[in-house]
Amino acid sequence: MNNKITFNTIFTTILTCALACVFAVQAHALDGNEILKQVDRNLQPETYEMYRKLINIEPDGTKKEFVLYSVKKGQDKMVALFLSPASEKGRSTLRLNDNMWLYIPNVGKPIRITSLQSVVGGVFNNSDILRLDYSAEYDVTTITDQGETYLLDLKAKTNAIAYDRLSMLVDKKSVTPTTIECFAASGMLIKTLYYKDPKDFGDGLVRPSVLETDSPLYKGYKSVMVYAKVTKKELADEIFSLNYLPRVDELR
Amino acid sequence: MSRTFFKTYLLSFSAGLVLFSSPCFAQDEFSFDMSEFEKKNLEWGGYAELKWEHMDINQGSAFSILNLIGEPRSMLDRFTGTLQIDGSYSYGKTTLNWILQAAGQQDNLGWYDNADVFEAYASLKPTPLVTASIGKKSYKWGKGYAWNPVGFLNRPKDPNNPEEALEGYISGELDLIKSFDGSLQTIALTAVALPVWEDVNEDFGEVNNVNLAAKLYFLYRDTDIDLVMYTGNSRSRRYGIDFSKNLAPNFEIHGELAYAPNQKSLVLESDGSVGLAEKSATSALIGIRYLSENDITSIVEYYHNDAGYTETEMDRFYQLIDDGEIQFLTSGLDTLLDKAREINLKGYGKPQPGRNYLYGKFTQKEPFEILYLTPGITTIFNLDDESYSLSPELAYTGFTNWELRTRFTYLQGPSNTEYEEKMNSNKLEVRVRYFF
Repeated sequence: MNNKITFNTIFTTILTCALACVFAVQAHALDGNEILKQVDRNLQPETYEMYRKLINIEPDGTKKEFVLYSVKKGQDKMVALFLSPASEKGRSTLRLNDNMWLYIPNVGKPIRITSLQSVVGGVFNNSDILRLDYSAEYDVTTITDQGETYLLDLKAKTNAIAYDRLSMLVDKKSVTPTTIECFAASGMLIKTLYYKDPKDFGDGLVRPSVLETDSPLYKGYKSVMVYAKVTKKELADEIFSLNYLPRVDELR
Repeated sequence: MSRTFFKTYLLSFSAGLVLFSSPCFAQDEFSFDMSEFEKKNLEWGGYAELKWEHMDINQGSAFSILNLIGEPRSMLDRFTGTLQIDGSYSYGKTTLNWILQAAGQQDNLGWYDNADVFEAYASLKPTPLVTASIGKKSYKWGKGYAWNPVGFLNRPKDPNNPEEALEGYISGELDLIKSFDGSLQTIALTAVALPVWEDVNEDFGEVNNVNLAAKLYFLYRDTDIDLVMYTGNSRSRRYGIDFSKNLAPNFEIHGELAYAPNQKSLVLESDGSVGLAEKSATSALIGIRYLSENDITSIVEYYHNDAGYTETEMDRFYQLIDDGEIQFLTSGLDTLLDKAREINLKGYGKPQPGRNYLYGKFTQKEPFEILYLTPGITTIFNLDDESYSLSPELAYTGFTNWELRTRFTYLQGPSNTEYEEKMNSNKLEVRVRYFF
């Protein structure tokens, strides 16, 4: 009798522990992806227009600045237009999911470009400039509670994504990233992104207004993105097409 | 060390011009004054360019005889100044767009200048799905980098400078776009009416005709596809298809195929007469664009053109020039050279007049951690006569709104071949461009 009770107790305890572990793991995985989606929404509305300044800083302090106007719709559509400097003005880039094109006014037709290239030079590449939602490109593989922050390990959903793996530190209070390390499939660190200086952009959007990056591949160089305006905007799907690319400026 | 030396060199090189450069370097860190970038009705910009070219003349070559007979020389220096102004004026759903270009050129042979309206057209956009335009507009149809067999309305571009603006044609255009969810993401139709009348688009083809062209674009399963058609009496009817697709994030493939059932071209016959040959012509291009791990971008294209001249036909043209030289030297007459000049303008003198070419362009972005520096090399190889051009170059864009480029072009081939019979055997070019 005692043996039966003991067996039942042990069996029930083991089963309970096993189920608890399974649900705990599922809950963590779910939480990780939910946190990532919340990070996306806290960084930007799903459909918006945005003004950014991109600054490349060389080791001797020399700067080169670019100003971009961008619009994004849904999970996979984005366009960026260069407003400055004059040498780049009118250039526009389009991203539809993993496809990217560059339009140069003199060339007069869009050409396909890759996410790893950089149309501006410096540490930021095309995928940084035309970044879609993190949750659209990555799955959370592990989540670690570090007190005031979460550490999310992200794995790219396809091999067409610029970085194979991200290590993202998320501030629990604001649910926005503070630091993101970007790794190649080989495990090599390609660059580190630092989100800084939270700012109220209106309409309930409080997010970092500065994104800095450095890279072991560009020792001593730094690139910075300064966000000046991020606002919701209704956009037609047809805006995100090659035929519309030469006239993106008319959206402003 | 090398980087400092390089920048010092470039600073010295453009010392006289840097006085006008942008004040961006002096701005506060991370400042962003949005008011500078508010949308204005009138937007304009452009560039001013100075170019110096030094050419060693290939004395005795066909084109040196054609261009320089009577004043033979061993070299030629040329200075060119160019001003391009572009802009737009928007009012409601209507936009006026323009590109104007003027250039003056001084070389050892004299002064030449020109001023052109490259584009000037009005667009009406009632919705993002529909745009109607009328005026002078340039067309850049096709996916090829150096050549565009399906560019039925394109001006021929210079494969050595394929990214330069080109003069347009006066036309009316309707552009329709529709996006979808699913495998077919976008479909777009561009329809163009292009008249050719006296003093209107006369260089397009036969006058007193209204020509029609259409391009139907699909983005299907991440592949760009265009179906292109041209019909009209100014040129023969033609059909085409092109595509472009990324097979991997760093590897793109593109191609074009064009067919003209009754293409006419000027041909120098074996008896010395000049005739108009009509034949069905297929032209095709296949190319790749590849980005390597060490940031080298390679563009390689193969181009076949049925309408191009065979080696025998080109030989006849070179022989006509040789005969013209003998005639000129023995009698002082230049009737044969005049004939050669005329057919040169009507076909034999176009860029890449042959049938089979290979194009390669290889550029490395920012080597040795020198930002904004792009060394590269471009080659065009005539696969039929085995002559070629080879052009190493260096471009630097590190000074805001300045672009500095130097390029050396070397031409080589057996005698009676395309690149051996060019006027020059090499060319050194230094170009400074300031954008405003």
